[in-house]
Amino acid sequence: MDTTQLLKGVLDLAVLAVVSDEDGYGYDVVRRLRAAGIEEVGDASVYGTLRRLYSSGALTSYVVPSDEGPHRKYYGINAQGRAMLEAQRKDWQEFAGTMGRLLKTEVVR
Amino acid sequence: MSVLDTTDVLDVAGYASAVRRSLADLGPELVDDLTDDLEADLAEALDDERHVAHGRGVLEQFGPPEDYAAELRAAAGLAPATAPGRRVRLSDPVDDARRFGRWILRRLRALTWWAPVEAFLIALRPVWWLLRGWVVYQLVAMMSGASGWLPRNLAAFLVLVGTVVLSVQYGRGVWFQSRRVAWVAVTANVVAVVAVLPLLGGAHDRVLASESVYADYTAGRLGVGGGTQTIIQDKAVDGVVVDGMQVSNLFVYDADGNPLTDVQVYDDRGRPVRTTFDNGFDQYWFPEATEPWSFVSRVDTDGRARWNVYPLQGAPTSEFTYDDAGLQVLPAGSSATTPPWPFAKAPSLDDPPEAAIGAEGPVPSPSPTSTP
Repeated sequence: MDTTQLLKGVLDLAVLAVVSDEDGYGYDVVRRLRAAGIEEVGDASVYGTLRRLYSSGALTSYVVPSDEGPHRKYYGINAQGRAMLEAQRKDWQEFAGTMGRLLKTEVVR
Repeated sequence: MSVLDTTDVLDVAGYASAVRRSLADLGPELVDDLTDDLEADLAEALDDERHVAHGRGVLEQFGPPEDYAAELRAAAGLAPATAPGRRVRLSDPVDDARRFGRWILRRLRALTWWAPVEAFLIALRPVWWLLRGWVVYQLVAMMSGASGWLPRNLAAFLVLVGTVVLSVQYGRGVWFQSRRVAWVAVTANVVAVVAVLPLLGGAHDRVLASESVYADYTAGRLGVGGGTQTIIQDKAVDGVVVDGMQVSNLFVYDADGNPLTDVQVYDDRGRPVRTTFDNGFDQYWFPEATEPWSFVSRVDTDGRARWNVYPLQGAPTSEFTYDDAGLQVLPAGSSATTPPWPFAKAPSLDDPPEAAIGAEGPVPSPSPTSTP
């Protein structure tokens, strides 16, 4: 089974989790997702997700000037984003638990 | 290595603009919003990847730009492209200009010094709105034959208020936003940008003209002709300057170091060298003087005043009186004297100048018999 399909449903959750750790700009978020083991996600999907979360009000955004490179647009989580993260985290854990039980019983059977 | 870097950057820029082209149907703001940091993100991703898979190009790394754009669009929750490619072919000059402007802005935003400059300019935006309103008013006024910085009657004043309100409301994004009337505002904006400098220049000229009339008036030049003209030069535009300081007098010593008086000085073109231009009106301080001096001119055989005869002579200003014509003159009792010399004797020159021999005639070699 293609994990990219699985990932689509939970990319919002993953991105929110990463940004809630620490504010980050586009590629920085990609890098941290990869470091966390989410390898298959496309860069563009992460950028688009950041943009969508931002326009839905879950993230804040600000531009940070840089001494050597270009200015970067940073994203940070806000109260609404934290609430969203909590709700989705709960949903995910329930769902994962359910799936875990279901798959275990399947295997045992 | 640096060559490789440049091609990579070029590739990144080309790739990014291809992605933007694929998103063009979303409108400029959304495209900007989605692809603000695209170049930087692409470059950084490539840079990261270079450690793992050496020398991978942009295309290999990210796939076709159309697919990248589609992924970006889908993840951002935006509708997929309706007719990919078709819109792009129609090149609209306004759109092209906007895209070019955005491209310039992106380049500028990549520079560190730009952020404070941009913030400053943004703070100045309302000033432009006011100016734009005024420019439109000026154009309307010109068409109806009026002129002047500001309105002179109620109707013109109302027109100015109207144009300013229109301009500010457009600037705030409140009016003229719908597509059907936006072209009016865009046209007016372009006209205002083109007209603002000529209009300000014209207004400036009018101010200068009135100022010069005033200057003429104060200088008495507007009076009935034939009167005495007094031109007071208060700027150091001419004269003799030593060590950055304008000098008021020159002291001349001969070869033996003795002071000379009544020396006429001319430049290489025969023009008199003057140190003062006030014709005796101004006051000058000397290093150890207790009161200022004014100078008087010498008169040549033709009766003309000579100001290039050094040292200039004069007297303490308090000794001068005014004659019937209002000119500053020394009263009959006193006479002009030479100001104090800087030193009584200058060092004498070592060798008698060779020119003395030349002046006597062509003597190839000094004959020993000439000096007994």
